[in-house]
Amino acid sequence: MKPLLVVEGLSKRYGRQSLFQNVSLELARGDVLVVTGANGSGKSTFLRCLVGLETQDRGTVTFDGDPRTFWGFSAIDQAVYANLTVAEHLEFTADCRGVEANVRFWLERIGLAAFADRPAGLLSTGMRARLKLALAAQAGPQILALDEPGAALDADGIALIDDLVREQAERGACILATNDPAERRYGNLELAIGT
Amino acid sequence: MKTPTWIALGILMAVGTVATFLAPPAPAFQVPDLARLVFFHLPCALTSALFFVSAPYFAFRYLRTEDRRWDLRAEAAMEIAVVTGILTLATGIIFSKVQWGAWWNWDPRQTSYLLVMFISAAYFAVRAAYGDTARRAANAAAYSMASVLPVLFLIFVYPRLPMVKSLHPNVIAEGGFDSVYRGVFYSMFALVFVACLGLFRFRYRVGLIEMLVDDSDAELANRDRIAAPGVVRPVALSPESRKATK
Amino acid sequence: MRKEWRTEFRNPSILLAGLLFSLGSMMAISLAAFSTKLSGTLGAGLYWVALLFASLLTAPRRFTNEEEQRTGDLLRLVARPHSVFWGKALWVLAELAANAIVLAGTFLLFTGQNVAQPGIFAVGLFGTVLALAGATSVSGAMASRARQSTGLAATLALPLLLPIIFLGMAALRTGLGDGVVENGWRSAVGLVGYGIASLAVGPYLFAAVWKR
Repeated sequence: MKPLLVVEGLSKRYGRQSLFQNVSLELARGDVLVVTGANGSGKSTFLRCLVGLETQDRGTVTFDGDPRTFWGFSAIDQAVYANLTVAEHLEFTADCRGVEANVRFWLERIGLAAFADRPAGLLSTGMRARLKLALAAQAGPQILALDEPGAALDADGIALIDDLVREQAERGACILATNDPAERRYGNLELAIGT
Repeated sequence: MKTPTWIALGILMAVGTVATFLAPPAPAFQVPDLARLVFFHLPCALTSALFFVSAPYFAFRYLRTEDRRWDLRAEAAMEIAVVTGILTLATGIIFSKVQWGAWWNWDPRQTSYLLVMFISAAYFAVRAAYGDTARRAANAAAYSMASVLPVLFLIFVYPRLPMVKSLHPNVIAEGGFDSVYRGVFYSMFALVFVACLGLFRFRYRVGLIEMLVDDSDAELANRDRIAAPGVVRPVALSPESRKATK
Repeated sequence: MRKEWRTEFRNPSILLAGLLFSLGSMMAISLAAFSTKLSGTLGAGLYWVALLFASLLTAPRRFTNEEEQRTGDLLRLVARPHSVFWGKALWVLAELAANAIVLAGTFLLFTGQNVAQPGIFAVGLFGTVLALAGATSVSGAMASRARQSTGLAATLALPLLLPIIFLGMAALRTGLGDGVVENGWRSAVGLVGYGIASLAVGPYLFAAVWKR
C-alpha cells in the first residue's frame, strides 16, 4: 500500500539548539502517530514543519495532493478571526479550499449550532477549540494533525476528538502531538521528540 | 583569488592611477586637472550598476532553488554594489564641488543615485529584521526583486526624462571622450570591475565558510543529544488500554 | 476579499484611521493656504504628502495585522498565496481609491484649486492608486513576519515608492495647471504601467515570502 506521507531526514534547529534531527517515518492509511515530548521539545514545531507552516532546515516531507485539502491542522495557539462568526469561519475556509461548507452539519457536530452567529472573539476557549477542530476536519483531509487537541475541552469535547480520530483513521491517518496519557492511547505509532 | 593575483591587481591599480595622469587635463572643466576624477567615478558607477542588477538575478535563483548559496551571492553582490555606489557618490560630490561650486546641489542624477543607496539600505534592513535563515533569505530575495523596477528607473530612466534638467554630463550616450580618455577609461573600468569581481568571490566564499561553520557548530553542539530517534517505534496497544480511552 | 470586507466593517479601525488622517491633513493644508493661491506644483506636492502618508499608515497593516492577530497560520493552511495577495491587494486598492477621492474632493473644495487638465488628473490619480496599492501590498507582505513589522513595512515601502512619487507628482502637477501637457500624459500613463507591473509581479513575490 502506497504510504500517505513520507518524511525523510527532517531536521530543525533554532540558532545552535537542535529541536529534532534526522526524523524519518512513513504513514499509511489507518495509522495514528502520537508525537510526545517535554514542553519546548519541538512537538508543535515538528507538526508545523509537516503541514508547511514552518520550513525545516533539512529533509523532505512528501505527500500526494493539494496541501489545503490533504492536511487538516489544529493547534492550541492557533487564532481565529475575532470578527467573523462561527458560521462565517466555516464558509470562509470551505470557500478558500474549494470544498462544500456543510455549515449546518459541522455546527451540529461540534455542538455550536446555537452560536452560529456569534463572533469567534466572543467564544470561550473551549468553544474556539471546537471551532478549530471543525475547520481542520471540514475538508475531509487525508491526514489530520492535532496539537494538544484535548486542552481546554470538556468531556463532550473529548468525545468529539475520539470520534474525529476514529473516523480519520478509517479515511486516512492522524497525527497527535500530546503528552496526555488518554490521547496517547489513540496511537499505534509513537515518536518521542527531544529524548 | 590567490595572493599573487591580488598583488598583481594592486600593482595594476597603482599603474592605472598613474596612467590617469597621462590623459591631458580637460579644458572644459573648472579645474581641468580634476576632470581625471571621471576615471574613478564612472567605472565605480558602472560596476555598481552591474552588481545592483545581478543581485536580483541571484535572488530569483534562490527563490527557484532554495539553495542558500544563491542568497549568499545576492548578499555579496549588494554589498559590492553599495561599496562602489558610495565611492561613486563620494567622487561625484568632489566633482560637484569643483565643477558646480557646491558639495550637493540636488542635481537629479545625484539625487537619484542617493535614493538608490536608500533602497540598498532597506535591503540590509530586511536582512537584519529576520532571525530565521530561510525567512531572511526569502524576504531579502523578494525585496531585491521588488526593487528592480525602482532601481532601473532611478539609474537609467529618470535622469534621461525630457522634463528633468541635469547638470550631470552624459559622456557615454552623448560622447565627449577622445581616444586617449576612452583608452584610459576602459582600462580603469576593466581594473575596477575585475577587482570588484574578486571581492565578490572572496565575500561569497567567506559567507559559504560562515554557513558551513554554523551548520557544523550546531551539529557538534547537539552531538551528544539525540533529538529524536531515526525510526518511529510502533506501540502495541493492549485491549485493556484501548478500553481505558472510552 | 469578502473576508476583508466583513472583518473591516465590523471593526473599521484601519479604514477610519486612513480617512481621519486624510481629512485632518487636508484641513491643515487648507488652513495653511487660507489666503494663498496654491500653484499646481505646490498643490500637487501637498496632496501627494497627504495621500502617501495615509497609504503608508493603512495599507501595510492589511498584511501585518494577520501576523499580529496570529490568524496568518489559518490563512496559510486554507488559502493559496495568490488568492490571499489578490484579496488583500484589491481591498487596499479600494481603500486607497476611497482615500484618494475623499482627499481630492476636500482638497479642491477647501483650496479652491482649479483642475486645468481633468483627464491627466484623473488618469494620474488612478495610476497613483494602482501603483501605491502594488508597492504597499508587497512591502506589507514582506514585513509581516518580521520582528518590527510596522516600522519595517514603512522602511521597505518608501524606496519602492520613489518612482511613483516622481511620476505621480509630475502627472498631478500638470493636471493642476503646471508643466507641459505631453509630459503630464507620459507621467500618468507611466504611473498606470508601473502600477500594473507591481500588481502583476506582487503575487509571485508574495508567494515566495508568505509560507516561509
